[in-house]
Amino acid sequence: MHPLYGTTAVAGIGLKQYKRGASPLPEQGVLVEAILDACADAGFDPAEVDGFVSYGDDRNEPVRLMSALGTRELRWSSSIWGGGGGGVAGAFGLAAAAILSGQASAVIVFRALVEGSSGRLSAAVMAHHLNDHMLAAGVVAPAQVCAIRANRLYQHHQVPQAVAAELVRASYYHGARNPEAIAYGKPFDPAEIAASRWIAEPFHLFDCSRENDGAGAFLMVSAERARDLAKPPVYLLGCANGAEKGWGDLLENDDEALYPSAGFRPIARRLYTETGLKPAEIDVVQLYENFSAQGVASLIDHGFCDYDNVAEVIRFENLIAPSGRLPVNTGGGNFAQGFIHGIGTAYEAVKQLRGESANPVPGARTCLLAGGPGAPTVSSAIFGNVIP
Amino acid sequence: MTIIDGADAPYWEGLAEGRLHLPRCAGCSRWLWPAVSRCGHCGSEDIAWVERAMAGTIFSWTRTWHRFALTEDIDLPYVSAVITVDDCGIRLLGRIDDPGQVDPVIGESVQGRIGKTHVAGRDIPTIIWSRG
Repeated sequence: MHPLYGTTAVAGIGLKQYKRGASPLPEQGVLVEAILDACADAGFDPAEVDGFVSYGDDRNEPVRLMSALGTRELRWSSSIWGGGGGGVAGAFGLAAAAILSGQASAVIVFRALVEGSSGRLSAAVMAHHLNDHMLAAGVVAPAQVCAIRANRLYQHHQVPQAVAAELVRASYYHGARNPEAIAYGKPFDPAEIAASRWIAEPFHLFDCSRENDGAGAFLMVSAERARDLAKPPVYLLGCANGAEKGWGDLLENDDEALYPSAGFRPIARRLYTETGLKPAEIDVVQLYENFSAQGVASLIDHGFCDYDNVAEVIRFENLIAPSGRLPVNTGGGNFAQGFIHGIGTAYEAVKQLRGESANPVPGARTCLLAGGPGAPTVSSAIFGNVIP
Repeated sequence: MTIIDGADAPYWEGLAEGRLHLPRCAGCSRWLWPAVSRCGHCGSEDIAWVERAMAGTIFSWTRTWHRFALTEDIDLPYVSAVITVDDCGIRLLGRIDDPGQVDPVIGESVQGRIGKTHVAGRDIPTIIWSRG
């Protein structure tokens, strides 16, 4: 069995979320609150946390958190490379690696984002990639890069564009029913998608995630230790991160077959091989949707459907809890739960497997967390409330 | 002003002279893009810069309507595209003339000319592609 399989677990979770620009505290303060919540959730002394990991160029260097948390000794801190959200799932694998190798015993996985402290996320992500080739083409935002790939997916590979609206609608449906979601209590008319203004074709405003202020934190410990803490463990069953040849930061010169994908094909292959699980054994999916088409591509990459049957699988009724066969973004996802660089999707993964979701999937045992699609390096993880 | 500090410097120097120069491995003849100092296929560090005609086909595109920061001096909407250059297969980022807002078609032939884009406070040489 692969060393990551069921050997570590998420023991506590914390999420603080506000409208963009509305955080009552600076970024580090919000992050500290989220970490304290995660520790309280687990019944764990925050001073005993000895490791930290983030992703996506988070600016909160862990050593600076020590004073506020009362940290006794920082033994390990790290981050996943890459400016986008591709690393969100990979950060859990990195935390597990630190725990399993004895470099740390209690690791906080986190992401914090407050506009007043760090500026706009979209600008930060692009600053990571921008060069004169992109600037000269007027391509300066993640929406445009993803739009170009989406047009290839729709126009060349003949994926019907209507499936993207099904995915958006499912996220808003769940978000409207989740008291912790930005979209809570707001009925969503799918006609709003096409009626909203163009951003970059084929994306309307409602095809795009919109940023929030806030922070998410997850306490990870060994599976054995997690069983002694307050909440039922949510085990990490597998995690993969990276890119294959023909994919990456290649000025749009990716391999032609990989170009319209979200970059997850090698990740999904490894994840399923290393866990022994198949797509049909995934009970619920938390999917990072930066943009609607990339969410669709992510589901294709992870083997839930292909170019031929995509319209049969990515249907609103099939994507919603409790009745759909492929419940996706049961908290509302980045679109409707809120977008703190994707950390909310991991939060919902844990809530769902604990039976705490506002949109529970009956009997769910496994949950796929798919990180930011289309990023040069991407990652996914599978969590379980049992070790199947 | 163009920032010329990487392996793609000959590309920018070529555009400044009105020509499209693209890199090809002298060891295995593969076209290499983005520009690199070593061919990852055969290991050669002998990279030749070869002129290509500014002719290609549309690989994909987007029409931007939102006023993103840095693009304040580009008239909205505008079409950005990925163009496959004929006789080498390298894909370049550029812009397509969009006079009638008729949607570009993937696979359609385009001809390029060297223009410029004022973005982020400076002019950058740009291949502007025209259809038909």
